[in-house]
Amino acid sequence: MHQLMRRFFGTQGSKNDAKSRLKLLLVHDAIDLTPAEMEAMKAEVIEVMSKYISLDRSEVDFRLERHEGEIALVSNVPVRRVTARAG
Amino acid sequence: MSECIVITSGKGGVGKTTTSANLGVSLAQLGHRVVVMDADIGLRNLDVIMGLENRIVYDLVHVIEGECRLKQALIRDKRLDNLYLLPAAQTRDKNCVTPEQMRDLVKQLKEEFDYVLVDCPAGIEQGFRNSVAGADRAIIVTTPEVSAIRDADRIIGLVEAAELPEPTLVINRFRQKMVDRGDMLDKADILEILAIPLVGIIPDHEEIIVSANRGIPVAYDPESVVGEAYRRVARRLTGEPEVPFIAEQPTGFWSNIKRWMGMSPAAGAV
Ligand SMILES: Nc1ncnc2c1ncn2[C@@H]1O[C@H](COP(=O)(O)OP(=O)(O)OP(=O)(O)O)[C@@H](O)[C@H]1O
Ligand SMILES: [Mg+2]
Repeated sequence: MHQLMRRFFGTQGSKNDAKSRLKLLLVHDAIDLTPAEMEAMKAEVIEVMSKYISLDRSEVDFRLERHEGEIALVSNVPVRRVTARAG
Repeated sequence: MSECIVITSGKGGVGKTTTSANLGVSLAQLGHRVVVMDADIGLRNLDVIMGLENRIVYDLVHVIEGECRLKQALIRDKRLDNLYLLPAAQTRDKNCVTPEQMRDLVKQLKEEFDYVLVDCPAGIEQGFRNSVAGADRAIIVTTPEVSAIRDADRIIGLVEAAELPEPTLVINRFRQKMVDRGDMLDKADILEILAIPLVGIIPDHEEIIVSANRGIPVAYDPESVVGEAYRRVARRLTGEPEVPFIAEQPTGFWSNIKRWMGMSPAAGAV
């Protein structure tokens, strides 16, 4: 029954949720930055960048990753076109 | 050379006391002189799990405060004469002992025993600091759950901060069936996240509750799959790092019949 329902709704096992949530939790724990603060930082950075370049906020990828104990802020910012320089 | 190993987790209720008792039994069965110390002052449990609660006269706080000699507080196991318990005080609190006093106590115990196992209380406060004070290394116990693994990660950091060598991991309450259907983190997932060496996978099993009811650690039962899992932890810790991990015991009707008839071994290797 359980299996059938799972197939019906096409859900993956809950372990994938556990794993992705854990990974996120641990990097935030490690640098003592909450997801909300991270969002605020992202908004500010996007704000600054958009003074110089044109970008679509919804396309900006901004996340923390942990590889073998090292934590990196990884960001991917698709740029549309260069606007006139500010200032 | 004797060694003090602290069994810790951060999160409560994940199996530190169960692991301390069974590892104590398993190491003693291998012929080592072992003492298990209950460092959970105010909430002692290890005596009950080992079935020794009626023999307590003195505890580790009495020893530290000089009210008795160390030998008077040590309780010998009922079955193994090379296994001893040093109980915690039940009516005191964790702050009545300092890390320096614990370090001293462990030093004395190491003169008498090959292994001093310290059952650490939950949390990251004084009880944790006391428990790691005299330790040469740490075993982290976790369950395959988000909250327990998160706390384990925190504890790994604190163990490193205490300048102990890289800790090792015991995954407790493992359920192969849930892993198979993708509803439980697997060994590889947990190791990828915590990145420390694994020394044990202990199945989630009702035998643990039965053995707690009786006060007889499951490691005494040669037929028990959980007991075998603990015996293998002891072997991995004592120079047999390649011992395979065991799979969950099939619990269906036929496998029980087979087990009664002696057709199936207590544990299958994975
Ligand atoms: N492998 C297992 N299978 C089934 N039940 C288990 C298993 N391991 C532990 N338990 C149960 O989980 C409970 C907590 O275990 P235990 O007391 O060893 O944890 P603990 O980490 O020492 O807890 P605390 O943080 O309170 O000291 C107990 O009721 C025990 O019976
Ligand atoms: Mg305990």
